[in-house]
Amino acid sequence: MLHTEIHQKLTSVFRDVFDNPALEISEATTAKDVEGWDSITHVNLIVAVEEAFGTSFTTKDVKGLTNVGDLIRLIAKRSA
Amino acid sequence: MLKHDRSELDYGQLVKKARRLGPGSGPKLKLALLADVSTQHLTPLLRVLFASNGVDVEIYEAGFDTVEVESLDPNSGLYAFGPQVIVILQSIMKLKSNFYQGQEDRRSFAQAKAGAIEAVWSAIRVRSTAVIVQSTFVLPYERTSGNFGRVTGDSLLDSVEELNREICRHASQHPSVLINDVDYLAAWVGRGHFLDEKLWCLAKSFCALKYLPQVAQNIVDISLASLGRSVKCVVLDLDNTIWGGIIGDDGLEGIVLGELDEDGVFRSFQSFLKELSARGIILAVCSKNDEAVAREVFQKHPGMVLREEDIAVFIANWDDKAANLRRIRDTLNIGFDSMVFLDDSPFERNLVRQLVPEIIVPELPEDPALYVRALSELNLFETASQSSLDAGRAALYKDQQKREVESKKFATLDQYLESLQTTAHCQRFESATLGRVAQLIQRSNQFNLTTRRYSEAECKMMMEDRDRYFPFTISVHDRFGDFGLINVVILRLKPNEGVLEIDTFLMSCRVLQRGVEQLAMNKILDFARTGAYQCVLGQFIPTAKNMMVKSFFEQFGFRQTATSPEGATHWRMETADYVPRKVFISEQCGDGAM
Repeated sequence: MLHTEIHQKLTSVFRDVFDNPALEISEATTAKDVEGWDSITHVNLIVAVEEAFGTSFTTKDVKGLTNVGDLIRLIAKRSA
Repeated sequence: MLKHDRSELDYGQLVKKARRLGPGSGPKLKLALLADVSTQHLTPLLRVLFASNGVDVEIYEAGFDTVEVESLDPNSGLYAFGPQVIVILQSIMKLKSNFYQGQEDRRSFAQAKAGAIEAVWSAIRVRSTAVIVQSTFVLPYERTSGNFGRVTGDSLLDSVEELNREICRHASQHPSVLINDVDYLAAWVGRGHFLDEKLWCLAKSFCALKYLPQVAQNIVDISLASLGRSVKCVVLDLDNTIWGGIIGDDGLEGIVLGELDEDGVFRSFQSFLKELSARGIILAVCSKNDEAVAREVFQKHPGMVLREEDIAVFIANWDDKAANLRRIRDTLNIGFDSMVFLDDSPFERNLVRQLVPEIIVPELPEDPALYVRALSELNLFETASQSSLDAGRAALYKDQQKREVESKKFATLDQYLESLQTTAHCQRFESATLGRVAQLIQRSNQFNLTTRRYSEAECKMMMEDRDRYFPFTISVHDRFGDFGLINVVILRLKPNEGVLEIDTFLMSCRVLQRGVEQLAMNKILDFARTGAYQCVLGQFIPTAKNMMVKSFFEQFGFRQTATSPEGATHWRMETADYVPRKVFISEQCGDGAM
């Protein structure tokens, strides 16, 4: 899956989870940049991403994430 | 309780709804969550699901893993909050590590742990009268000796099974502890799907987020039942619902039942219904049929599990269903929201939902072999108490029909009442009646002046506190049958002010217009006179359901003294002014008589 495709699909997951249809994300986006991205919604986000991409991350995968770019690379790796 | 199906329990949708939840409305409920898991994902779900059941919930979330600390510390936030319901949610994850740490006493592990849980309940009971909702433990799937572990008897699985049994056994001895059987929920979806080790590591989550709504719904169901909101009656369609085919067309020999019901599908469904009836749910029939034809099946068909005597109200005619359902409601004197309507036809179900929106109309699968499964999944029959009176309820309503026939023979109401030879037994609360008292307090909506929902523990406290309370009950029987305990009155004693206060006055609606309330009021004033109380004070707190007693105090000659901003009215009667009411009830004296 191309990074642009992942980015597109991931944007719609983010919009759904954060309940904001206008939300835009980039590789540099972190939790600080998105309203409502706290530890609780983070878990909701991870579960929603796994479901949307039909994949499953390890605990270590999830703990190593620092920004959206990491998440895109992780999805690419796990769904390869 | 869910009205139709489980599709409403989608985690993502519920989280969104929670975000948009406006200010609460409806009755308030203070609920505290004590857990050894994180509860942050659970609370939004509870808020939404309580709101969709018309309850304005306020939630206290204790800190992570503080079940013991919060319950043992009298100055904890838990007690400052003053909860009505305390939910204790405990995970197999923590239990598991306890088990593996305690190498030496594996066999006593379950007993010791059950004892520790009971100690938490007792600690709470000293400081709070809240209903305690204790979770079971989800059975673990890990095993170290494979199948052979079942033989050794000291495996983790064995210990957790024993612990669950012990928790339930202890709960049966604590009147206001209810069980939240999360293991049942986990087993339904499969424990391997339900438990989620990764989410436990990442967020100390109780289970996979997908199934958290089921846990929340279970807590809502139990809480609503403890508030008296439970299903009281199941209304049955007949053709293609409790037997296959159409009796009017296929005839007694042609319907699918007994021999023709080769796989026993309808027999199983009827057995489930009969079981419901045995535990106090009233069964009624509402069918488009000729009455004689429909009744004949109950009387003559050897394949019927349900018989005529199991059906409290039998309506078979060609009138519209809404009118018939209203007749059933009126005969039973219950609310539509405590009635479930079962019909195989999607058309009829939708029609009833539109005509009578309050009534619960579950979706039924096309295949009748799946009816019981669908009803079980919806958990429609949650209850918070069970008394021996429940079992005889169908008989009670049948007695009522006989009385109605009899009443037509008499010229005056007095003559009729006299002919019933009603006998009453009045007594202070006692241990043997507390279960029934708490049940009435939880369930009575209509003939209830203040709708204060005391728990069994609170009733016990009032029973024992002779200086401050005079709580009594009236049980009644007549020549047609036994009504049992149907009236509860709680008087607060304020001797220094010369005041007797009616805190609670409620009656089961099946004994209206029999003079029981007059008898009770005579008793109250007798008590005031003997105790030299100058006056008796009463209060009417309006709810959506108790308008029938709006003028209760006025009818007895009380004077209204005030109206509160919320609409409650306050009443006063000078003890000397009361004119005792004439009643046609003789009093039976016995143990514990007043």
